[in-house]
Amino acid sequence: MSTQPDFAEALSQAIDPALLAGEGDPGAVKDFPLMPLGETVDMGTAPDGTPLIDPRIFFSEEFRRNPWPYYRIMRDHYPVYFNKLNNTYYVTRYEDMTECYYDDVGFNTIPKGSSNGVLGNVTHELSGVEHRRRRNLFGQHLVGKSLENRVPAIERLATEMIDDFDNLDDSIKQDKDGVRTLELGRAFAYEFPVRVVCDVLGFPREAQGNFFYWYDSMMGGLGASETHKQGMEARQHLQDFVADIVEDRRKNPTYLYDNDGNIMGKDIISKLCESKVDGDYLSSEEITALIALVVAGGGETTRGTILNMWYSLMQHPDQFDAVIADDNLWDQAFHETLRHSNPIGGQPRHNTYDVEIHGIVVPAGSLMEMVNFSGSHDERIFKDPETFDIFRDDLYSGKLLRSGYNKDGKCSHMAFGVGPHMCPGAWISHQEAVVGSKILAKRLKNARINIDKMPKDIDGVSLAPIGINKLRDLWIDYDLD
Amino acid sequence: MSTKRPPVKILGNAKPSKSRTGVPEYIRTGTNEDYRTYEVYQRERVHENTEKIRPVQLISPAFVQNPYPILETLRENYPCYRDWLGNSYWITRYNDVTSIFTDEGNFETRSKLWFYRMEGHGRDLRGELPVLTAFERAFDAHVGPVTEAIVADLKAKGAADLALDFAARLPMELLARALDLPVEDFARFVELFWRMQRGYDWEARDEQSGKLAMAELFEMVRPLLKTRRNQPGEDMISAIAGLDLPDGPATAEDVVVTLLEMDHETLHGALANMWFLLLTHPDEMSKVTNDRRLTNFAYLETLRHSTPVLWKKRFARHEVERFGRLLPIGGLIYCAAAGANRDPRQFKNPDQFIVGRKDLCQREPRGHYRADGLPAGVALGLGSPSKHPALPEDRPRSLYAITRDTAVTASNILLNALPDLRLKPGAEPTLRSLRLGEMHTCWNLPVVF
Repeated sequence: MSTQPDFAEALSQAIDPALLAGEGDPGAVKDFPLMPLGETVDMGTAPDGTPLIDPRIFFSEEFRRNPWPYYRIMRDHYPVYFNKLNNTYYVTRYEDMTECYYDDVGFNTIPKGSSNGVLGNVTHELSGVEHRRRRNLFGQHLVGKSLENRVPAIERLATEMIDDFDNLDDSIKQDKDGVRTLELGRAFAYEFPVRVVCDVLGFPREAQGNFFYWYDSMMGGLGASETHKQGMEARQHLQDFVADIVEDRRKNPTYLYDNDGNIMGKDIISKLCESKVDGDYLSSEEITALIALVVAGGGETTRGTILNMWYSLMQHPDQFDAVIADDNLWDQAFHETLRHSNPIGGQPRHNTYDVEIHGIVVPAGSLMEMVNFSGSHDERIFKDPETFDIFRDDLYSGKLLRSGYNKDGKCSHMAFGVGPHMCPGAWISHQEAVVGSKILAKRLKNARINIDKMPKDIDGVSLAPIGINKLRDLWIDYDLD
Repeated sequence: MSTKRPPVKILGNAKPSKSRTGVPEYIRTGTNEDYRTYEVYQRERVHENTEKIRPVQLISPAFVQNPYPILETLRENYPCYRDWLGNSYWITRYNDVTSIFTDEGNFETRSKLWFYRMEGHGRDLRGELPVLTAFERAFDAHVGPVTEAIVADLKAKGAADLALDFAARLPMELLARALDLPVEDFARFVELFWRMQRGYDWEARDEQSGKLAMAELFEMVRPLLKTRRNQPGEDMISAIAGLDLPDGPATAEDVVVTLLEMDHETLHGALANMWFLLLTHPDEMSKVTNDRRLTNFAYLETLRHSTPVLWKKRFARHEVERFGRLLPIGGLIYCAAAGANRDPRQFKNPDQFIVGRKDLCQREPRGHYRADGLPAGVALGLGSPSKHPALPEDRPRSLYAITRDTAVTASNILLNALPDLRLKPGAEPTLRSLRLGEMHTCWNLPVVF
């Protein structure tokens, strides 16, 4: 039998002839077209109409600026999505994530994950009792009374920085006709959280210059191998720096003062120096790891939140006016910002046992990414999740909850996670962002976005969306007195 | 706001020294710094400089076209490379790769069906003796006639693309005959089989297409299985139908899943790559034309030099310490045969294609991919080295032997029929994968004769 013509024909049915001819990109990196917000690229559909997900999308610019419709597909059709290209399972629904986050044993945080040794033996990579003990050691200094004690210091730092706006470099500040144009990131948001963290920890002021180096290098060194070394070096540098401070503080503790100069208590490093685990004092390495975590968590996240909050509010003038008129609304604005566009994407977990979720069997030891972004936009929990609305009645914005759920049926956003590993800095970052913004709002008269200086979306007119990108610069105008 | 390293402040008892990289480092004189918990110790060993490679290179088009330079970087610098982007580890040295392939206790092989997320939709019956016997019988019986038919077609056409007209076609025709498919189903079978084979990996559209193809193959096989259960023949479907299985009689799904796991890649890829290498290395080609016994060696050297299946995935069954690392439970390990086969620790001038090279095992390996004290090319489609004798009396030859003999026989027939075979003038064939993770082979090999 001669099957030759049939054979060639059959092969071309099975393989895209362009691929066979060596055209097209054989790799796993792809440029996707940028779509209007809320619409997705066509990635194909299954015969039953289910949209398909091309795993290359997750590394595209399109996804970073316009992630929400893709997350929606995942929530609706793939609540546990297996990304074979990156060997990761994504969990995208609020309720599922909450359940996983709460099961500290079944979904562990043991470090085969992202930190790659850069942050050291950090608390969030421990589980169970070990985690609780260490976390409480420093977590207790970031909540309640001890946090309240620090608010005057936060206010003082904010006021100092705003007073200093007049002396800013011309590259981030221009005055013209009674209007000042200012880049709020470099003028305030970048440095303010770092100053607060230094202050609260009891770090010497001169360490602040190193903070950005430590922060950027350590964050950049997580995972990606070409920058890993710099991350490790930065951590070593931090450890050496801290080790000497710790040795010193063990003998000479330092204190926090209120506005009148009265001692309110020891700073966190001094307190950690006298903390014990299992009857033994913490080693300087353990303290470094705790501090590394505060450095890592305390800078970029709060900065992103402040910028995202101002950017979103100023794009909704009615809401902005309401906040200006009523200081108490800043809490709601803070929480809605974190729900709508939080700066932290998700948290990795590894399932200790084989688990089955929504019919997908996940073998033990798999990397399961809890996608906080998606949880906060789950329409099963939040109505019209893509709308920024500080007055929404389904978002809980009272005292932060570990459970995610409140008695009155409202849910909190996922930006801080929930459960035993909920962000220990949540309370202090709340204070930083809200206290700082209140003072800013009083001082910046008639603040508005300087549209000319801000990047635009694909239509060339509207402002670029935040998506899951971090807002780098925020140019604003405000009236000088 | 610079990320540049600030000047180092010297505090307390720390003294700076200059490291090789020019970055100051501390010599600590404290006493409690020597103590390391196991975990910290592990982290420090993991703390290696992997600056010579970026993870995104492992999914780049350049890597897909030619993975060898990047695999060499891994093999010579990072023998157990942690790929953060792909959440996996890469093993690239010969002894390391083979130690994983022969260690089923620690490392798990997940089937293509698992990657399809279709566990339970059929049984892989490749290991059943009657199936292997039928496979051996069919391939031995048909390789001659099928190759001659292909050669006749080539001669009639007057020109040929050996990659598609010969290397791609031969395995499919042999497989169709081993299944004893009706002639009119052949073209459809080829299409469905190919779609099924290409669908289990990461590409979503192909996965859909593959699932649909499998569904259609089930229906194609179902009536055949039913008929042959009553009137068995010599073919593989009859052999599967006649199996006495613990979980009940074989189904059409079992036949298709067996085909899925069996695949065609080693035969197809090795034939295409061998002819590519011979035609582009005239000296080696003349060795083979002068002495037909060397075709066998050319085939073995091809599997070493340019293996069509570049790597296979294994998963750690439990936490296991290997290669200086603690591999976590569930960890994905890419075992790169393409890296191992060019390991200079095993093969002299590993990038050279040398028919009859002296440091390559020239028969089927036993044990850890070695025989006669020599390493064999790691060719993944052929499975672990056989524990049975090379010429067993009570069972068929190994898959390794059947595939090798088929490729060698077919190549010799081709060479005898077309003695003046040479590359079409001006042609510049290359090896490449159609897409990341797929067979690395020659897709276009125009020849004249």
